[in-house]
Amino acid sequence: MEPVVRLDRVSHRFGGRDAVAAVSDLDLDVARGRFTTLLGPSGCGKTTTLRMIAGFLRPTSGRILLEGADATSTPPEKRNIGMVFQSYALFPHMTITDNVAFGLRTRRLPGDEVRRRAGEALELVGLSHAAGRKPGELSGGQQQRVALARAVAIRPSVLLLDEPLSNLDARLRVQMRRELLRVQRETGLTAVLVTHDQEEALELSDTMVILNAGRLEQQGDPREVFPRPANRFVAEFLGYDNFPVLPGAGPVTIRPEHVRLLPARAAEGADEAGLDGTVTAVTFQGSHCLVEVDTPAGGDATLRSVHPGDGLRPGDSVRVALPRRHLVALADAAAPAGADR
Amino acid sequence: MILRRPLLSLLTAIAFVLMLGPVAILIGVAFTAGSTLAFPPEGLSLRWFAAALEYRPFIDAFGTSVLVALVSTALALALGVPATLALQRGRIPGRRVVENLFFTPIIVPELVLGLALFQQVMVGLQITALGTLVIGHTVLLLPYTVRVVGASLALADPRLEEAARGLGAGPVRTFLRVTLPVMAPGIASATILAFITSLNNVPLSLLLTGPGVATLPVEMLNYVQSSFDPVVAAVSVVLLVLSVAVAFATERLAGFTKVFGR
Repeated sequence: MEPVVRLDRVSHRFGGRDAVAAVSDLDLDVARGRFTTLLGPSGCGKTTTLRMIAGFLRPTSGRILLEGADATSTPPEKRNIGMVFQSYALFPHMTITDNVAFGLRTRRLPGDEVRRRAGEALELVGLSHAAGRKPGELSGGQQQRVALARAVAIRPSVLLLDEPLSNLDARLRVQMRRELLRVQRETGLTAVLVTHDQEEALELSDTMVILNAGRLEQQGDPREVFPRPANRFVAEFLGYDNFPVLPGAGPVTIRPEHVRLLPARAAEGADEAGLDGTVTAVTFQGSHCLVEVDTPAGGDATLRSVHPGDGLRPGDSVRVALPRRHLVALADAAAPAGADR
Repeated sequence: MILRRPLLSLLTAIAFVLMLGPVAILIGVAFTAGSTLAFPPEGLSLRWFAAALEYRPFIDAFGTSVLVALVSTALALALGVPATLALQRGRIPGRRVVENLFFTPIIVPELVLGLALFQQVMVGLQITALGTLVIGHTVLLLPYTVRVVGASLALADPRLEEAARGLGAGPVRTFLRVTLPVMAPGIASATILAFITSLNNVPLSLLLTGPGVATLPVEMLNYVQSSFDPVVAAVSVVLLVLSVAVAFATERLAGFTKVFGR
């Protein structure tokens, strides 16, 4: 099926020729009806990419195709996009209904259809009762739902979401994620969401696109990307914390919750790699402890393990067991540039 | 309260007396039935208001003042609003320098500005006193319109315009339906502030008045130099009432922001 959005070797440089590229040579297909997230640390180019798809920024080079047609120089008002901003950007002088109807009126739809579709969009986000109010009278979460309704009402070819949940508090954010996913599923719209929150990306994505320093690091179904990060940057970003180099296996990574600690001189299983180690730190984290163990492994020799923590103290000798099925071989051993951001 | 903070209460009281005392005396004098600027007034009457109305130069000067204030406010808005838009929303090289240039009329002493306009425009270009007055007041008001309208724009989310564009509105529709309504309270406040500033200005007007053309404050100054009766007090009260009325309207309009829920 033809992708709704296609980026063809798109680059963007801010401030002239010799500036650092915010996005370089990015190829990306956004599949119809799917939820795609652009994930990465601040400055990775994800927002720049989204703003280029929306038409607020022109690529320095490369092409943008919408519904198969070259839209590289099409102004935003001619692209049929639905945009939701981090700051909500509701029109403060209009009622909620007028906000939602704005895009329908610019399309010169007949009055009764404008009213019907604005009403439907408000109903979709559960805010029919707020129709006559002004944005300032609503809470942040409600305002963002109005912004979502406003973007959905025009039936855009693609819904663009620029960190829409970042201004909300933690509990509401989780709730709004579900809401966002429900609206996307119910409307069948193609969605592209920008976020720096890996949890958000994992929960929402059909396709997760991880960017770093303007380049694509890895993309795919989160269920495939999460257990198999392609390189150290992706691994670190997804919360992998151990980067040893094992004899015979080379540079690998493993999540702390998969690292098992056994008593000293105990034997690991047949399907595990074993290392002798000395506990250097035990940090209480509520439901568990994070135990740091010095080992003779190459690379980063300190391994972290999620452990009940009872009875372990710094200086204790332990046997570290690494289940082979959780070990992920990495292409690169060194930390990539920008990984510390 | 008074007992708990005696020093603060005392200082506040002194400040109020110093600020409002002269005004109260002036109002009292304006309604006097006597013929001197004495306080307390010798009986109550409106005779000095009637006298002021019969004094032709005051009536003419009042007309000039209102005309100059209206025209220069309109011009300052016509120049200031687009300038603010460009400064706040456009990509202008050396933005800060340009922005500060708009504030120079506040920093440069008005007498210097007046003298420069007198020499270069009135004498140099042979423009009438009324024309020069309007030009001078427009320059004087420009910083106010740029700053007040700019403040209302700076507070508004710059993403609003992008949201409108994304929803299919072209640049013109975006301006008319989103940018302009968002700026409206700022424009209203700027209009009133500019109007009062022009109406009460003395230093600039003093240098730019010509034969037969003077603003009300300048005409009052002229009058005080030759005669000393309560007519001036009566005119002052009229000017005071006008300014307070306009300021009150500002407050009501500033309360307008509540409509926008911000």
